[in-house]
Amino acid sequence: MVKFLKILPISAKIGTVTVMYPYDRPLVTESFRGAIEVDPGKCVGCGACTRICPPKALSFIQEGETLILRYFVGRCIFCGMCADTCPEKAIKITKEFELASSSLYELYSDVQHSLSTCRRCGKKFVTRKLMNKVKNLVKELPEELLELCPNCRRIESLLRTTNLR
Amino acid sequence: MKITTITSFSEKDLEKALAKIKRSIWVYHLNTGSCNGCDIEILDVLTPWFDVERFGIRLVASPRHTDLVLLTGPITVKTLSKVIKALRAVPRPRLVMAIGSCAVGGNIWFESYSTIGGFYKILDKLNDIGIVVDRVIYVPGCPARPEAIIYGTAVLLGLLKPKTHYKRVEA
Repeated sequence: MVKFLKILPISAKIGTVTVMYPYDRPLVTESFRGAIEVDPGKCVGCGACTRICPPKALSFIQEGETLILRYFVGRCIFCGMCADTCPEKAIKITKEFELASSSLYELYSDVQHSLSTCRRCGKKFVTRKLMNKVKNLVKELPEELLELCPNCRRIESLLRTTNLR
Repeated sequence: MKITTITSFSEKDLEKALAKIKRSIWVYHLNTGSCNGCDIEILDVLTPWFDVERFGIRLVASPRHTDLVLLTGPITVKTLSKVIKALRAVPRPRLVMAIGSCAVGGNIWFESYSTIGGFYKILDKLNDIGIVVDRVIYVPGCPARPEAIIYGTAVLLGLLKPKTHYKRVEA
């Protein structure tokens, strides 16, 4: 009966271990990965992150004139592959984990891109920012072919070669 | 002693019950094909380190005794009938907490043939067959941290305001 009293000096020595979480700071280490944050200034809308994302938490949705990079944190597995693969280093891994919400709609966050239109067929094929980036990177770029979608570009270059002969 | 059971109740009674539920709630753990990661985190919440019994939260063995169902996993087709049975046994007001990215959005199995892909997909169907879920809280995380689960409970009970909001920015 007195046997349980043995625990009293042990508990007195160790003291309280319980963390006072809601009133105290949570234990977040240096290597912890939380929700990601897309920097809208840096993002060009190339879609590298949407292709690497294992659960497709990042996805492209076309809404008329705009292309939307949608991040659904409810499906994110916090692997950080999008941040590794982003060529513009636009994705930052934050330490945010208090993401609970009573509505699924609140868990989405969108980055809106404007699309450029093909001069020939009127198809929307690439974001304006990505096109400008390519324009700056490649020096000898035929200007008349730049604003054409890949299919029209093929036709245009074929017509040109046939005209030359 | 005669035990009276309430078979019909008005919306007013339900609101009263939802207001009263701010104090201690009893939880029931429902695994619907989870990988065990979120289940271990739920176990973590109950251990002396995070000790949710200081808020009066207790784990119970039967859905008939519970206020809040802790749902983990993407709801596989095999477990769907059991999920419906367990949720039907829960008394009103019926609260559900979807823990982990599987239960919230389906994770990497969101378009798989053998899973439903998240709790939100069966929410309307449950409503149709008469299982009304009064409040749902989604706790993302893979697995959800014990702190995130405690935070989710606080948001569910209205003690804290949720931090995340829908945002749309121009690039």
